[in-house]
Amino acid sequence: MKRILMVLLLPLLAISLAACNGGDDTDVVELDVFMSFPRFQEQFEDYFELFEAKMLEEENITVRINLEMPSSDTAQQLLEARLSSDDAPDVFTLHAISNIPEYYEAGYLEDLSDAAFVDVVYDSVLDSVTFDDKIVALPLESLAWGYLYNKDIFEAYDLTPPATLSEMETVVATLNANDETPFLLAFQESWIPQLMMALSLGGMINSEETDFIANMNAGTGSYADIDEVFGIIDLIMANGTDRPFETGSAAGSADFANGNAAMWVQGPWMSGSILEVNPDMNIGLAPLPVTNNPDTTMINLSTSTSLAVSPTSEHKDIAIKLLNFILDEEHSSDLFSDLKFNPLATVHTYESFPWVDEAMSYVADGKAYLEQALPDGVTDVTALMLQEYYAGTKTQAEVIEAIDAAWASALTD
Amino acid sequence: MKRVNLSLVLFCLPALLLYSTFVLFPAVDGFRLSLTNWNGLNPTSEYVGFSNYRELLEDKMFLQSLLFTTRYVVYMVVLQNGIALFLAIIIESLRKGKRVLRTIFFFPNMISMIIGGFIWMFIFTRVFPQIAEFTGIMLFNESWIGNPEYSFYSILILSLWGSVGYLMIIYIAALQSIPQSLVEAAEIDGANRFQVIWHVVRPLIMNSITIGIFIALSSSFKVFDQVFALTGGGPGTATQVVSINIFMEAFHMRSRYGYASAKAVVLFVLILTITGIQLIVMKQKEVEY
Repeated sequence: MKRILMVLLLPLLAISLAACNGGDDTDVVELDVFMSFPRFQEQFEDYFELFEAKMLEEENITVRINLEMPSSDTAQQLLEARLSSDDAPDVFTLHAISNIPEYYEAGYLEDLSDAAFVDVVYDSVLDSVTFDDKIVALPLESLAWGYLYNKDIFEAYDLTPPATLSEMETVVATLNANDETPFLLAFQESWIPQLMMALSLGGMINSEETDFIANMNAGTGSYADIDEVFGIIDLIMANGTDRPFETGSAAGSADFANGNAAMWVQGPWMSGSILEVNPDMNIGLAPLPVTNNPDTTMINLSTSTSLAVSPTSEHKDIAIKLLNFILDEEHSSDLFSDLKFNPLATVHTYESFPWVDEAMSYVADGKAYLEQALPDGVTDVTALMLQEYYAGTKTQAEVIEAIDAAWASALTD
Repeated sequence: MKRVNLSLVLFCLPALLLYSTFVLFPAVDGFRLSLTNWNGLNPTSEYVGFSNYRELLEDKMFLQSLLFTTRYVVYMVVLQNGIALFLAIIIESLRKGKRVLRTIFFFPNMISMIIGGFIWMFIFTRVFPQIAEFTGIMLFNESWIGNPEYSFYSILILSLWGSVGYLMIIYIAALQSIPQSLVEAAEIDGANRFQVIWHVVRPLIMNSITIGIFIALSSSFKVFDQVFALTGGGPGTATQVVSINIFMEAFHMRSRYGYASAKAVVLFVLILTITGIQLIVMKQKEVEY
């Protein structure tokens, strides 16, 4: 018996002895960085090497960055599990509009108001990472967002992006008459049909129905108040490509790049995968018309992925230095243009993309609004309901009822 | 004697330790979670009693998924056992090629259902339209993934493809264990093929049928991979089964881990009750010889 126990215990002993030998290097600062960008792994690895070199040279600190890049599907789950089990990474990515309020309330975000990067980021972008009067994250992806269109197809039939719903109907009729499919539908992933609601709702509540969110939060509103949005949604669904539930975002990008449809309600974040299929594609970007009031036709300005620092980090100073280095005067422009991100700070001097310039021309005319956060869960329910609306298993009234219920339930706790 | 017991326990200990850490403890803790309002993110949560369970009764999406799952279970229990038994009888009555056919039909069982899902996804979305083009049979041109009425059958086809082989092996073993003398005696008495199957074979393989129905019931109630790989519960929630509903509640939507745990507990109790009743009822019908 004793012999068996000895055999069982020996490896344990060996492991614990080995563990004691390590950990003598007190000069090395280890920084855990968690990012939901597996497609940008290489770029960030290279960039962090620059940071490690800089720290060694200027401050004589050996920094070792452990970069963790889970796929974006599971990243949020993993991150939240680590945050709630007291195992927070030192630096992590999060979504500025949808995650900051919740994470801040739970105490997982360090106040970065005094960090150096604050001085170089544009004020309009800074607003979206400010919560409770504190700056709690470094914005990475800033978006000027509308639907995408194929400039070559539009030019071939002498069309310009429509400013109202009836103009859009004319555009659709012209395209149909010339055997072009007006809209690309890729509804396999539910977040894509949801974009139609996000854009049209944004247009409505920032022009005609400014009290909408307040009313909803007071329990007196309903999506029936903005049911005009179904005008454009119906138009898109009735004039789209076939078999949308068999087309995901990747297949959709390929279809759009190959000119299978003239317009796609998606965002500039797809530009990379579209250009990969067809590098000569002329991508246009325009605001989606909702009603016949041209004021409802607006570009959505928002910040998505941002970088935050955990308050429990042992090396907060180094973590903040890393954030500052992301907007480093010498290197940041290369990184951001490489990632095809929009310029968001004064240090960004690279040439932006044509569709960004096009979106910015609307912003300059005041035809833009800052994205507002909807209660947790509302977007998910909207996404599922719009899929069913297309499939015909839910009517417009049932869709409205389900989204109203989701909103009400989010208010209860 | 005592020393023997002790060493037996010690031999089981590593497995028991792993089992308790990764299965028993999470299961019990899941029940505790179902009484809280934990959102998967906050360091703390409050006990809310049974309010999660009360909310379930009015949760339209959950009830809809329960109804859909029930429909799926009924189809699966009947078809999975029926086809498996049919294949077992056919294969057993063959003179040649038993082994080859057995392997072919069992093969899909060894593939992960997620992979199987991708294989069938390709068949439904790429191969079926081609078949329709060549044959002109419009049935193949329907949207087998996008149209909820058809996607129910797509899920069924994938599930049957993946699971029939396993039950078939059980039924083949049962058929082989039947004493040949009883069958011969019946044949001498003038029973035809169907009479032999119904009056001699059926009662003798009743215990395997009990197992077959038990496996079909418990596995189809908690079906996840097949639906997840093929439709993800969509379009929208049209093909959402209970486990997908639980998954969405916990990891999408509002991350309500407490509420999702309550749903999981309800699913567990449901499976326990139904399979329990099934075992009691069917055990009474088994015969010994």
